[in-house]
Amino acid sequence: MSAPHPDELTTKRLAGLAPPPISAAPYDPRTGDGSLNDDPTQRPPLVLGQRSFHDVTETVCGYIEKGPGKWWLPAFVTSAQVAGLMPLMILYLAVTGVGVWGLNNQVDWAWDITNFVFWIGIGHAGTLISAILCLFKQKWRTSINRAAEAMTIFAVICAGTFPGVHVGRIWMAWMLFPIPNANAIWPNFRSPLLWDVFAVSTYATVSLLFWYMGMIPDLATLRDRAALRLLRKERSGRLPLIGLSYDRLRALVYGVLSVGWRFSSRHWLNYEKAYLMLAGVSTPLVLSVHSIVSFDFATSQLPGWHTTIFPPYFVAGAIFGGFAMVLMLLIPSRIVFPGMRDLITARHLENMAKIILATGFMVGFAYGMEFFIAWYSGNSYETDAFLYNRVLPPFVAEWIGSERSAPYWWAYWTMISCNVLSPQLFWFKSARRSPAAIFLVALLVTIGMWFERFVIIVTSLHRAFIPGEWHMFYPTYVDILTFVGSCGTFLTLYLLFVRFLPQFAMSEIKAVMPQASPHHHPGHATAHAADRHGAAHPGGATGMPPGLAGAAHHPGEPLRHPDQPKGGA
Amino acid sequence: MSTIFPRWTNALPTVMAAALVGGLTLVVGGVWYYVTPKYWEVGYMPTQPGGGFSHQIHAAQLGMDCRYCHTNVDKSAEANIPSAATCMGCHTPGLLQVSSRSAEHNAKVGFIRDAYATDDPIPWRRVHKLPDYVRNFPHHAHVTAGVSCLSCHGNIARMPVVWQHESLSMGWCLDCHRNPEPSLVAREEVTRLFDLEPKFEPQNAAARLAEGKKFWEERKIAAPENCGACHY
Repeated sequence: MSAPHPDELTTKRLAGLAPPPISAAPYDPRTGDGSLNDDPTQRPPLVLGQRSFHDVTETVCGYIEKGPGKWWLPAFVTSAQVAGLMPLMILYLAVTGVGVWGLNNQVDWAWDITNFVFWIGIGHAGTLISAILCLFKQKWRTSINRAAEAMTIFAVICAGTFPGVHVGRIWMAWMLFPIPNANAIWPNFRSPLLWDVFAVSTYATVSLLFWYMGMIPDLATLRDRAALRLLRKERSGRLPLIGLSYDRLRALVYGVLSVGWRFSSRHWLNYEKAYLMLAGVSTPLVLSVHSIVSFDFATSQLPGWHTTIFPPYFVAGAIFGGFAMVLMLLIPSRIVFPGMRDLITARHLENMAKIILATGFMVGFAYGMEFFIAWYSGNSYETDAFLYNRVLPPFVAEWIGSERSAPYWWAYWTMISCNVLSPQLFWFKSARRSPAAIFLVALLVTIGMWFERFVIIVTSLHRAFIPGEWHMFYPTYVDILTFVGSCGTFLTLYLLFVRFLPQFAMSEIKAVMPQASPHHHPGHATAHAADRHGAAHPGGATGMPPGLAGAAHHPGEPLRHPDQPKGGA
Repeated sequence: MSTIFPRWTNALPTVMAAALVGGLTLVVGGVWYYVTPKYWEVGYMPTQPGGGFSHQIHAAQLGMDCRYCHTNVDKSAEANIPSAATCMGCHTPGLLQVSSRSAEHNAKVGFIRDAYATDDPIPWRRVHKLPDYVRNFPHHAHVTAGVSCLSCHGNIARMPVVWQHESLSMGWCLDCHRNPEPSLVAREEVTRLFDLEPKFEPQNAAARLAEGKKFWEERKIAAPENCGACHY
């Protein structure tokens, strides 16, 4: 009886007192952590380390109840300080005027709209993961969807701020919406700028609902765990001054947030239906939101903007940049959170790397096609916009004897090298399987996607039809710090999320674990052994490896939750 | 977990939903009623020098035409406020019977005579003000189109001291620009406020509209709705 209780072990692991759980299979060069199995007859496991349902609950709730570790507070304080730059700069903008930005008569959209499109694009990966991958029953999504959805919400918050403040008179921002008023002024319903308001606000609402609704069972688990500890009269820390115990506070807050969820079958039934419906509602949003953002440019007459390829090009770019951001958040998470590597396996990262490679090709194709159309259309303004606004570096111009060159060539070529060249690394299996390499590419892609928006907006605007109105754009420190502040805001919100909300959809993860299969035999629970001889074993006569969910056994049936989280009282 | 929340909290969602709906209605209703020029502007009646020029006496009792004093109203954008000289046309001592007899009257118009003597303007306070970002309201365009004084100023001949009768909000301007017919009258009737007043009564709306429509067609009225019509 000297062996530590599993709960105790988890507690110690989370507190950093015990080494992280060892996966069932030690790292081997062929299968990595055990999930990178290339044998098509075997499904790779989605959860490693022979986790029980209880383990999953303990791990996910443990991050919240025991705290994420010593790194959290310094990280939070730092990012919150950076985030503070944003309201500070916005206040300065509001009391002084948009002149504090580097805008001029010609370049009247610059970093503000660049940042808006950048952030709104980031969110699309979350919606794709939660909606489209859900409808396609991509089971690997279950361990990344919650974090990706959270990222979506936070990105939309950052995005929404920029058009809100770029109107100049911030107190008039309500006029973005068609609200009846004494001036009888309405926004132009034929303008994509108004459609954008609807698209983004719908997107924010649906994403928030999706994220929150998916979280209700997990919030209820947290509530019940806290209530159970209260019943058992276990001691927890107390809030300073008020003296309210942490568990009491948790029970109250998670209790309110979980809106009376009691894990009843009827609740689950309604939940599954609602989830599917929201997935259906969100699916067109993945395509529509960024299409409409692209209309802001495409419906104008400006060379470089007036392009029919923009909607699909923007959507592909958004998913591309969004997945890069998901990876940039999850790869460090796998390092700082012990046990997370069993839930987000190397296979998950590889899948996302493949998506980056595919969508990277789409944006690469779009870049090429824009160039082709500029030449093929015979429109000299369009050709000029590409050649002499974006592409031609001065030294090449000199070399080929051109009198003109593109002042923003460095932005264009940063975009091309980050977005088109860097994902090519993922042709190599070793790169797809190295978290460090994936992180590096994701970082480059994120930089490249910011530059893509900068290139589209600023280089098209800075030289329009008449040379007399040509101006360069130079950002001021307010431009720069507002953007840095928005990154800080994003990170602060994400850090709050990992501290106080469940980072994984526990019930969904449990549904894709081997134990969830009706044909699962506890005697053969060792994931890999079962995987290998599952087909031959009489019990596994269907040949369905245990890595699959029970639901997948009967593809016609909706996802069921055979096990309600044990952590719930 | 009944241990977390007491039983009475079951009522909270209902109460909160009701409070949300009620609160929202209150906010919308409050903004709609209070936060518009209709509430803030209508009824503005600043104190005027000498207790104010009584349009009631001059325009109603004495039957003077608006254009006797506001001479340029059909020629210029600005409906001019008359100079003291115009006033002195009647109020020069000895000119009017009432002036020579009544000490009270003499005391009342003293400030006009003083202003005339010292050649200083009378500090009338402006009642109908448009914001800086709006052009001067072109009185001549409206008067020659056949929009009566009544439509924007109310029956000023009933006002002992002038007060603002309409909100002058942009929405109010556009109401007429989008639907000008009911406001158009015969050109010779523009300043005959007492003749027009009954025609604008709600029960005569149909006849008013028919008459106005006739003028609208005759005069080929195209009330502009573009931004530049009123804003620089």
